[in-house]
Amino acid sequence: MTGRIELPQGTVDLLILRTLVTGAQHGWAISERVQQVSSEVLSIQQGSLYPALHRLERRGWIKARWGTSDNNRRAKYYELTRTGHKQLEAETEAWRKLSTAVEQVLEGA
Amino acid sequence: MLDDLRYRVRALFHRNELEIDLDEELHFHFDREVQKHIARGMSQEEARRMARMAFGGHEQVKEDCREARGTNFIELTMDDAKYAIRQLIGNPTFSIIMILTLALSIGANSAIFSVINGVLLKRLPYPEADRLVRVFLSSHEFPKFPLNPWDFLDFRARNHSFESIAAFTRGDVQLSGEGEPVKLNGFGITSGYFRVLGLQPELGREFDFQSEIPGNGLQVIISDRLWHSSFGADPGIIGRKITMNMQPFTIIGVMPAGTEHPGNEYHSVAYGESVDVWWPFSFGGNSNQRGSHFIEGIGRLKSGVTAQQARSEMNTIMAQLGREHPDGDAGWSVLVIPLYNEVVGASRQMLLVLLGAVGIVLLIACANAANLLMARASARQREIAVRLAMGAPRLRVVRQLLTESLLLSFLGGALGLLFAFAGVRALVALLPSDFPRANDIHVSWPVLLFTLAVSLATGILFGLVPALQASRTDPKDGLQKSTRGTTAGKHQNRLRSALVMAEVGLASVLLIGAGLMLRTFLNLIHLDPGFKQDHLLTATLSLPNAQYKKGEQIANFYERLMASLTALPGVESAGAGSDLPWTGYDENTGLTIEGRKPAPGEGFHTRYHMATPGYFKAMGIPLLHGRFFTDADKDGSPGVAIINHAMAQKYWPGQDVIGKRMSFHDDPQKDSDWLRIVGVVGDVKDQPNSPGAEPAYWWSENQAPQRDMSVALRTTSDPRQAIDELRQAVRQLDPGLAVADVKLMNELADSSISTPRFTFVLVGLFAGLAIVLAAMGAYGVISYTVGQRSSEFGLRVALGAQRGDLLRMVLAQSAKLAVPGTLIGVILALSLSRVVRGLVYNVSPTDPLVITAVVLLVLFIALLASYMPARRAASIDPMTTLRTE
Repeated sequence: MTGRIELPQGTVDLLILRTLVTGAQHGWAISERVQQVSSEVLSIQQGSLYPALHRLERRGWIKARWGTSDNNRRAKYYELTRTGHKQLEAETEAWRKLSTAVEQVLEGA
Repeated sequence: MLDDLRYRVRALFHRNELEIDLDEELHFHFDREVQKHIARGMSQEEARRMARMAFGGHEQVKEDCREARGTNFIELTMDDAKYAIRQLIGNPTFSIIMILTLALSIGANSAIFSVINGVLLKRLPYPEADRLVRVFLSSHEFPKFPLNPWDFLDFRARNHSFESIAAFTRGDVQLSGEGEPVKLNGFGITSGYFRVLGLQPELGREFDFQSEIPGNGLQVIISDRLWHSSFGADPGIIGRKITMNMQPFTIIGVMPAGTEHPGNEYHSVAYGESVDVWWPFSFGGNSNQRGSHFIEGIGRLKSGVTAQQARSEMNTIMAQLGREHPDGDAGWSVLVIPLYNEVVGASRQMLLVLLGAVGIVLLIACANAANLLMARASARQREIAVRLAMGAPRLRVVRQLLTESLLLSFLGGALGLLFAFAGVRALVALLPSDFPRANDIHVSWPVLLFTLAVSLATGILFGLVPALQASRTDPKDGLQKSTRGTTAGKHQNRLRSALVMAEVGLASVLLIGAGLMLRTFLNLIHLDPGFKQDHLLTATLSLPNAQYKKGEQIANFYERLMASLTALPGVESAGAGSDLPWTGYDENTGLTIEGRKPAPGEGFHTRYHMATPGYFKAMGIPLLHGRFFTDADKDGSPGVAIINHAMAQKYWPGQDVIGKRMSFHDDPQKDSDWLRIVGVVGDVKDQPNSPGAEPAYWWSENQAPQRDMSVALRTTSDPRQAIDELRQAVRQLDPGLAVADVKLMNELADSSISTPRFTFVLVGLFAGLAIVLAAMGAYGVISYTVGQRSSEFGLRVALGAQRGDLLRMVLAQSAKLAVPGTLIGVILALSLSRVVRGLVYNVSPTDPLVITAVVLLVLFIALLASYMPARRAASIDPMTTLRTE
């Protein structure tokens, strides 16, 4: 648990969008998946996950529908919209630029 | 964008549903978390504890989700607004000018709209008022005339168009025994009058058909106001006897407050709560005599029946009556006019013209605001370029700029509303006293909504083009170059010049309108009414039937009153007449003229009055031929008449009329059937703006005594000083008489021109505001271009141009805006001339004098507006301007 990093809001959005590329997921699965893929380093707390989901939904980047989960319970599934895809591309691009630049600065210093 | 809106609207309206969904979603998450921990070998309890820890505050999460749902738009708007407020505060002169000009024009619009709303838009205060109509007769000679009582009864019996129909006629009463005797506005009404209006007495009942039978008439319905003022709102008033016209009347009903008189034509009383007493009209006499017309019809149409349908049915009935009673009923047709048109019809055009005028002011203010915004946008080009370069989308910049203009327009609207409150009060005070529905004029909810809508529309109208323009700034250009001389600048200059031209044009239209109203007003003031209004005190008296039964008693009373009034110091002459000019009197009669036969199917008609010997002198009506009445023209001596010039012209053109004879008998036999004309007097105009006078003659009061008379006193000094003496003189003769309507004739005359004055003052005000705004616009554009061209001017001076040349250059530029602008204005005004035709008097709507004066004035003002910038251009120091480049 000690290795985990508190994520800024924009990054949470990016991670959610990226996670949904593979298909519709409910909130719990999204947070599990992020944690798993980042080798337990990144974790989205519920406190920031659900507000982020609602915000993204309002912006029209993701849409929600109710479905049945693998353990046969009603669950809210989120999936990327077309604008969401575009937004993901744009934000990934911006993130790459930023991280490269930060990397360079760190290297240079 | 649309998704966003839909989401937010849903969030707003399906709040509960969303909350339940959210709860379920969060629980699902929680349970999965617990399951995960259990799968890893924890106990149920420990797993739940872990999950709860990880989850944080359940409510906090929910709160955050709610916030994420939709406050974003509002937040953004708040940001924009905050930024806009900073901008406005940072530029106080600009902001104050913008807000003030917008406030003045929005306020003026709201004030005029208050009047329109109260007078034209608000329903009349009767249930289903659109079914109420007025019924008149019409003939070749009398286009709009009251009904004959017997015709009315036949209409009532035979029609199928009306749910109910009633008639009413003016008959003021004198109430005594309750303090000082007072004269009250009263109407005789047929049974069902209030049912037609849809009104119920608050106490008692309405008159029934029994009360229409002669002898049953001593009943009365009183107004709520009279009930309070004279009877202390006594709840047991019904059945009480009161003394009216010296006779005992029984109160059978009290009408509630807000019972508005629907207005009437014959001896008219203005629309409104202007009537205090209603008594039963009774049908007596010979039902075959249908020549006298003095009651007015009002009806409630059956639902689904139009006024037009009712009219054609009534005309069918009238045609039957014409066959049944060819003497009195042939040659008439029936008018059925919606009550609304009767009440407000005359004011409608004037109000709509005013609305148009004030709308033009608002357009000019918009053009002006757009102009100022564009001038400022070019100063802010650098700021906008920076924002664009930082990646702000254009829409965002437009939105920001629009927020600024909306902020300005709403601030202007709010301040304008304050102006409107004050303005409406001033407007109502300025309104003619008989203006319909003046009491309904308030700044009310519809006015607030109107102001809100106008502010919004204004903000978008003047803000959108400059905002779009500014957002087209090329970030590179905006950052690299200074604000001068960009290509966008040139485009903008053209747009701004066009705006100024439009402003000048619209202002010219209003100025031409104001000029026409001014001439109309002056024409009316300088009109010779045919009598002298100054130093003239007037009052009305009515002698009660009960005490003054015989004609000689009446004649005797007025003779003695005139004698005592004439003897008063300070009174030059005194007289009494059946009426005063311009008070709505309209009594007509058919007549026989000795030695002349009317064309078949037509007759001789004329208006008639009564007068005492001193009347003409007191009124200042000049004698053209013959003599005035004398005390010798009394009962028993040969009948005499005085006619006016118009009557002499009509019936005896080119002849000496003195000694000619006329009669009211269809077939005069005896000498005493005839009246001999002894004098011709000058015409008194029917209305101040009438082209002439109706043919009319006067009886001698001594020979045709009349109970209701108007007294006229011509005084040597202020006529107000004679008021007490007049009351005193009347009291000495009969302490039970009320002296009513004590007025100065010039007040009466004044109120008759108050409508044109109202129009003139308002259109003048609006025109003044318009030209100031247009001048500001011209000044703004000229001084801006002078600023832009300062280096060019500097260069010219350096190359030897004279200061006068620069001055002329700038003034010429101003003329280039003003001349086409004025031209547009004149063309617009000419094409609108039809609109004002009904509002002008003795001046053509295309009056060349007015148009020329306005053109010169506008050009002068345009040059004046550009004189300051021109002076600045001429005083440019070439060294400093060239160095800055």
